[in-house]
Amino acid sequence: MSYFGLFPLFVFLPLVIIIYNILPKKVRPIVLLIASYIFFYIISNKLIVFVILSSLSIYIAGLIMKEIDKDRDKLLEKVQEKEEKKLIKSKYKKRKKVILILTILFNVSFLFFFKNLNFFTLTFNDILKFLNIDYSFKIIKHLAPIGISFYTLEAISYLVDSYNEKIVPSNNIIKVLLYLSFFPTIMEGPITRFNEIDSSICSGEKVTYHNLCFGYQRIFYGLFKKYVIADRLNIFVKLIFSSYLNYSGVTVLFGAIFYTILLYMEFSGTMDVVIGASEIFNVKLPENFKAPFFSKNISEFWSRWHITLGTWLKDYIFYPVSLSKCVKKVAGLFKKLFNSHISSLVMGFVALFAVWSLNGLWHGAGWTFILFGYYHFILIFLGNIFEPFISKICLKLKINRNNRIYKSLRIIKTTFLIFIGELIFRAPTVNVATGMIKRIFTNFTFNNFGSEMLSLKLDIKDYAIVIISLIVVFVISVLKEKGKNVRESISKKNIVIRWSLYYLLILSIIVFGAYGVGYQPVEPIYADF
Amino acid sequence: MEKLIEILEELNPEVDYNTCEDLVDGRHLDSLTILSLISEIEDEFDVVIPTTEIIPANFNSAKKIWELITRLEEEI
Repeated sequence: MSYFGLFPLFVFLPLVIIIYNILPKKVRPIVLLIASYIFFYIISNKLIVFVILSSLSIYIAGLIMKEIDKDRDKLLEKVQEKEEKKLIKSKYKKRKKVILILTILFNVSFLFFFKNLNFFTLTFNDILKFLNIDYSFKIIKHLAPIGISFYTLEAISYLVDSYNEKIVPSNNIIKVLLYLSFFPTIMEGPITRFNEIDSSICSGEKVTYHNLCFGYQRIFYGLFKKYVIADRLNIFVKLIFSSYLNYSGVTVLFGAIFYTILLYMEFSGTMDVVIGASEIFNVKLPENFKAPFFSKNISEFWSRWHITLGTWLKDYIFYPVSLSKCVKKVAGLFKKLFNSHISSLVMGFVALFAVWSLNGLWHGAGWTFILFGYYHFILIFLGNIFEPFISKICLKLKINRNNRIYKSLRIIKTTFLIFIGELIFRAPTVNVATGMIKRIFTNFTFNNFGSEMLSLKLDIKDYAIVIISLIVVFVISVLKEKGKNVRESISKKNIVIRWSLYYLLILSIIVFGAYGVGYQPVEPIYADF
Repeated sequence: MEKLIEILEELNPEVDYNTCEDLVDGRHLDSLTILSLISEIEDEFDVVIPTTEIIPANFNSAKKIWELITRLEEEI
């Protein structure tokens, strides 16, 4: 099941809204929790037990850490000496660390079992085969609980933030259970932090007409991206990635471009649905995309694309690794031997390697995802190495780096690198990925371009609909980039213009949506991660 | 404060640190530049910046960074 179906958006969601609104304020968070568990159960059946176990583990661990903090503070009140205070703090911190590590291991073990175990077993079996050892470990086929990659990261952030006293662990069990299983976010995120939704998720505020309208507007915008653009391009992408040898390099490049557009439309469209649905219940979620194709380098792209995963990796992997004692020691040596730029590159190298290894593995247990991670790692690291030189060259040549042409060239370069990255991400195997990239660079001919593009199940009308729809999305992105609130602006227009726009959006989904024979809807891509 | 501005200018000379208030949000300082900055601050001012303090609110302006350094110096 995906969020885009008729049942979740036009049966399940309205039913939850009605029940939520007619019941008293105090009961409303429980309504959301029950709805979330029903939603989870419909998709993952008995595997619901794992999300409940994760939620209970972080709830209990949080309370234990809170108690340890209380005991420590009581003791600190009685002590005056600075040194003694330091000793007490360190002693109690160690106690909390044990709880933190055990609970993280408990949660990560589920993630590893469901998502990565088979990949490592297969790899290990390949090694045994290579060494001529006649033994192989058994592969256990199983389904994973929906959203496990997302809610496990949320669970870790809750634990680490409680350990660092960045949040106060909640006594309210409903709040913690709901934090990990809130039905709009359970399948594809965004990966929220407890303090971001702490006050709103259990507020029980009534659903207002304003929230309902704004929420469904955003949902319809998400449906437009998915049904009109993503689903239309899917058949083209499928054909190219399954038989790229039949096409010229330029058509293969279009396969990569169309897949990138498809992925963006599907995932950001899902975020529109998710954020819109949450908005109805007064829960404000963090944005996951911020016009990623306006990025001037790969680092910036990752601060605009799947933002909540990027910030999670930055906060819980990048900085803790780069500022760990051993990395700092090594970096200190490099600083003495060379300079501070080299030293920070060393710190960054180790941390970025950890971040991108995990980023690749998080997306899926497969070599294409690992290659996808290291591809970005190399690009970001090279960018950091060359940045001071490029900056000096620009200064010498008096090139204004804020110049529009220079900026546009950087954006084009970055976008092309992203197309190649997403090609690796989508390819079924590493061999196919490298074969496709090779074909782009060695068979770049426009000889059969027109006939090839029209042989991939899309006609002129389809291309026209895609181009016009992309222009609409582009204009909205530009307005958002300039800080304009499009929905607020529309809501201030007079009733005729306002409702004409709403009907136009709904009609375009019904009329131009890629349904029926000849089209294949995109399966929820990120729900599998 | 002057020493801090000096460090910042060495890392990215294209910013006016007396007025800029979106060093992180405006992407004038990326993650790696922040690492260099932390390393320089820790050496120069003899403080340790914990990872929990690395949030945009503490690094968005030279003034905020200075406040963080002062706070950490007091905590020692």
